[in-house]
Amino acid sequence: MFKVSPLRKRQFLGGIIGLVLGAFICYILTLEATEDYVSIGPMNTGHQDLNCFACHADAKGNLLQQVQSNIAHAVGARDEGVDFGTQDVTVDNCLQCHDRPNDRHPTYRFSEPRFKEAVQHIDATTCVTCHTEHEGERVSVANINYCMNCHQDLDVENDPLDVSHKRLIAKEQWSTCIQCHDFHGNHRYDVPEKLKDTIPMKLIQHYFEGGEDPYGSNKKYMALSQEAWLKTLEN
Amino acid sequence: MKTIYKFSLLSAFGLLLLNACGGVPEEKSATGGVENAFSVEEVLEMVAKENDITRTLYTKAIVGKGKKQGMKFDEDWRKDDVEAGPLPALFLRGVATSIRKSPVPLGLYLGSDFPVNAANKFEGKQAELFTEIKKDQKPQFFYDEDQKLHTAMFADLASAGACVSCHNDHPQTSKTDWKLGDVMGATTWQYPKDSLSYKETVAVLNSYAQGTVDIYLEYLDEIEAFKDSEKPEIGKKWPAEGNYLPTAEVFLDSVKKLTSYETMKHLVAANE
Repeated sequence: MFKVSPLRKRQFLGGIIGLVLGAFICYILTLEATEDYVSIGPMNTGHQDLNCFACHADAKGNLLQQVQSNIAHAVGARDEGVDFGTQDVTVDNCLQCHDRPNDRHPTYRFSEPRFKEAVQHIDATTCVTCHTEHEGERVSVANINYCMNCHQDLDVENDPLDVSHKRLIAKEQWSTCIQCHDFHGNHRYDVPEKLKDTIPMKLIQHYFEGGEDPYGSNKKYMALSQEAWLKTLEN
Repeated sequence: MKTIYKFSLLSAFGLLLLNACGGVPEEKSATGGVENAFSVEEVLEMVAKENDITRTLYTKAIVGKGKKQGMKFDEDWRKDDVEAGPLPALFLRGVATSIRKSPVPLGLYLGSDFPVNAANKFEGKQAELFTEIKKDQKPQFFYDEDQKLHTAMFADLASAGACVSCHNDHPQTSKTDWKLGDVMGATTWQYPKDSLSYKETVAVLNSYAQGTVDIYLEYLDEIEAFKDSEKPEIGKKWPAEGNYLPTAEVFLDSVKKLTSYETMKHLVAANE
């Protein structure tokens, strides 16, 4: 039935070679050594040593099952679709290594209804809004004026700063916040009292791009390494 | 004709192959076949009641009495150079953080119209409902369309002298004439389903209780790291008796003793 015509033998052979080569390439790309080629971009600062699986866990079922389930869902024969290939990466994945009790802006807080408007400007309910992965940097937020979405009414009593917080806010100098306060509050350091002693924006920008930490290396909590994270899964 | 035949045969083979493995097993609903026993409003009322009692106990017996023994409580209690325990509002935030780490999809928040931190001021729908709560202290319920979450707000009262004095004297306070019994703020609770099974209800109550244990244990851990302050003795005694703090088990036992009757009444009523 599938007899190959003698005139098409070359095409047939070519097809077979293509299939074998395709399968081989697919296999090669699943190996740890080739992860850099599969990645859609360089890993962010601190994530360089992670394997893909650290965030991209295999989806449930095999590929055929996933295709079938999603077709069934598309035609209405199944309530929920399923992840295809790998599971979606969520905040929970990030928190498995980066969860810190002292986080002054934990993502869950912004699910409260009163942050509805603020979240429309900057979706603080999810890490990737500011830390988009595969960008080869630390912080990917476009504009550093995000504090304005919640802290317009800030009025510090006995303000220790030489130029008061109120005045900085009135002048809409929102980028100055980050020159003293790290967003997540995990660094141990003394906050300056004079605006001229604050961290220059150039250093902050360099830090965002993956450079040296201007708030210092003394942190209360350290993120888990891949090895330490894997150990937590064993428990 | 032959091409159509071949194509059909290949398609049939493809479909057979696709179906051979079956689909990905569907997630079994936690409530599959189980009757829902409570409306979300009832459950949130139950857990909010437990929260009231727990927080009052913490504020009166730990913060209020502890301060008299020289113990300190501070908003920066997690900082290494601050040797203090969590203020009641931060105790609640600690509970909320712990709940978020549990598999129970319960959200818990605290806000006010005169918060110490201006960023905690109610806005929008919450501000609107909070004005109602201040009038009659009755809970308010609404469905948050954007997040598809059932939401409830409960009055947070000045139930202990420590609430009033700390808020009135706080350098950042936006109101200095709080009195005992005032509605100082409101807790907001969110849950995705409109009704819960018995098991899910118990899971909500347990996740709250676990949250109180977690934050209390974090406080005890901080004490362990105190360098300059005198460490209270941790055991069965309470600050009312001296420089003592109860263990997490003793604290939770007291909460349970105070809350169990009310909660049990609801749980048993559903089974009748």
